[in-house]
Amino acid sequence: MYRGRLERDLNAWAAQGLIDPATAVRLLDEFDRRESAFSLGRVLVVIAALLLGGAVLLLIAANWEAIPRLWRLLGIVGLIWTAYGAAAWLRRRGAWRLSEAALVAGVLFFGGAIALVGQMYHLSGDATQAMLVWFGGAAVTALLFRSQAAATVSGFLAFAVAGVEWSDSFGIDDRLLLWWMPVMALVVIGLVRYTGAAQARHLAYLLMMGWVLILYGEHAAPATALAITGVGAACYLLASLPVSPLRPLAASAGAAPAFYAFLLLVIGLAILHFEIDSAGERLLLGVVTLSAALGGIALSGRDNGAVRYLAYAAFAAETLYLASETLGSILGTSGFFLISGLVVAAVAWLVIRLERRFSVHARTGEVRP
Amino acid sequence: MKTAAPKLLVDPWLAAVAAALIQTAVLGYMVESRAVILRSGAEVRLKTAPVDPRDLLRGDYVTLGYQIASIPGAIVTGDVPTAPGRQTLWVQLVPAADGLWSASQASFAPLPQQAGSVVARTLPFSYYPGADGALPETLFVSYGIERYYVPDGEGRVLEEARNAQSLEIAARVGSGGTMQIRQIFMNGKPAYQEPLY
Repeated sequence: MYRGRLERDLNAWAAQGLIDPATAVRLLDEFDRRESAFSLGRVLVVIAALLLGGAVLLLIAANWEAIPRLWRLLGIVGLIWTAYGAAAWLRRRGAWRLSEAALVAGVLFFGGAIALVGQMYHLSGDATQAMLVWFGGAAVTALLFRSQAAATVSGFLAFAVAGVEWSDSFGIDDRLLLWWMPVMALVVIGLVRYTGAAQARHLAYLLMMGWVLILYGEHAAPATALAITGVGAACYLLASLPVSPLRPLAASAGAAPAFYAFLLLVIGLAILHFEIDSAGERLLLGVVTLSAALGGIALSGRDNGAVRYLAYAAFAAETLYLASETLGSILGTSGFFLISGLVVAAVAWLVIRLERRFSVHARTGEVRP
Repeated sequence: MKTAAPKLLVDPWLAAVAAALIQTAVLGYMVESRAVILRSGAEVRLKTAPVDPRDLLRGDYVTLGYQIASIPGAIVTGDVPTAPGRQTLWVQLVPAADGLWSASQASFAPLPQQAGSVVARTLPFSYYPGADGALPETLFVSYGIERYYVPDGEGRVLEEARNAQSLEIAARVGSGGTMQIRQIFMNGKPAYQEPLY
């Protein structure tokens, strides 16, 4: 936890006389007042909402005879209205976290109601459609209330839709998954931007990564891997080149766009390693991979720690791969360990040099390109 | 401790009413689209077939199989797709002397309604043509009536009846060909009350 580290550092600085103890307390107070600060209370409130929603879902599965099904349906619709009404009332009173929890419960009740209708009429075989309706309901709630919690739930439901469709059809020959995954990712990104639920952004990006892997699974060919690499490179350059018109937009979403584009590029290159077979291609691919890693470090190494570490990892993995392919067979196992040790030492030296450079730049506050 | 609230474009009360109204309307539409089939659909009676694996009690519902789920290639008329992909089949059902209905004709295009018969639409299924683009010997389809939800712990009785071939269902078929279970019969007697709502 950052707060724990901060407190330790502040105490250490106070003990060394760098800052006076009163300032340390004030700094910590300021951190605790920030909205983004981790709050056990907020997490517990949302967990409570999830448990309550789950209880209602289970209540539907059981208690078949006890309540007539029309009454059960009316009851759950009543719960939906109550949850949203409570959310509105709590928002009016400024109890933002409780209001968010009420919205999470409302969205879960809506899912329970969909399941209940399916049970009432013995529906089978259309799980994807039911999940899509649930996702749509969650998105509508997130939009109307500008709710971060509901936006996050929508992000998870997008995965549920894809998962259900995937297990139903074992492929994308029906084209449904092909279109819905990027559409849902776009909806989630839109909600993230509108509500400010920055953490949920990763769900959308991960959905797109999963979509790309499914695409490759459907069309496993070198051309697909090349396309993935090319699109990843193009997106990365658009997100991080200083001259790119999209750079300000990408930068407004933090480190994520450049990182996931770079990840796409690295995934494409990694797949290509399995597709090639000639020594010349292997060498070319090695040069391209190493240049991509160095390019990533050069372009966004200073501002984007996530890209930097991914680039280090790609660089180290590629160097070891090339060493094992070229020298491994000549030197035998012990010789290969020797080479690996030297390679890792060289990469470590490079990383230490770069990290020092970046921190010097950060300290002197040089203007960002 | 209160946290800074983001600016709202919609008043919370308005948002609450709008969200609840939209979701209620969606649920109402789902219910009514099924109730209308039960009210005014054409009734067919189907014998259930044992399913494999035989004791597939999935929690709180019984999996049902039907003879009309296996469509012989011989009764398929009209154009046949040559490439694999998701397809829908329209199946004409006709009654036999014992009151049970069976498939008499099937087509990849909608079939016209004929007196004395009912046209049902299958759920989309993955279709793979044979080696030379020909129709497979049998097509396995589903109609969205393959589950029957039962109270906790009561599924076993229905499963045994199903495996003993003494389970029948009455289904209603909507104008678009959508099938909807109306009633389940064990040894000819209704097993559960099924209200419209």
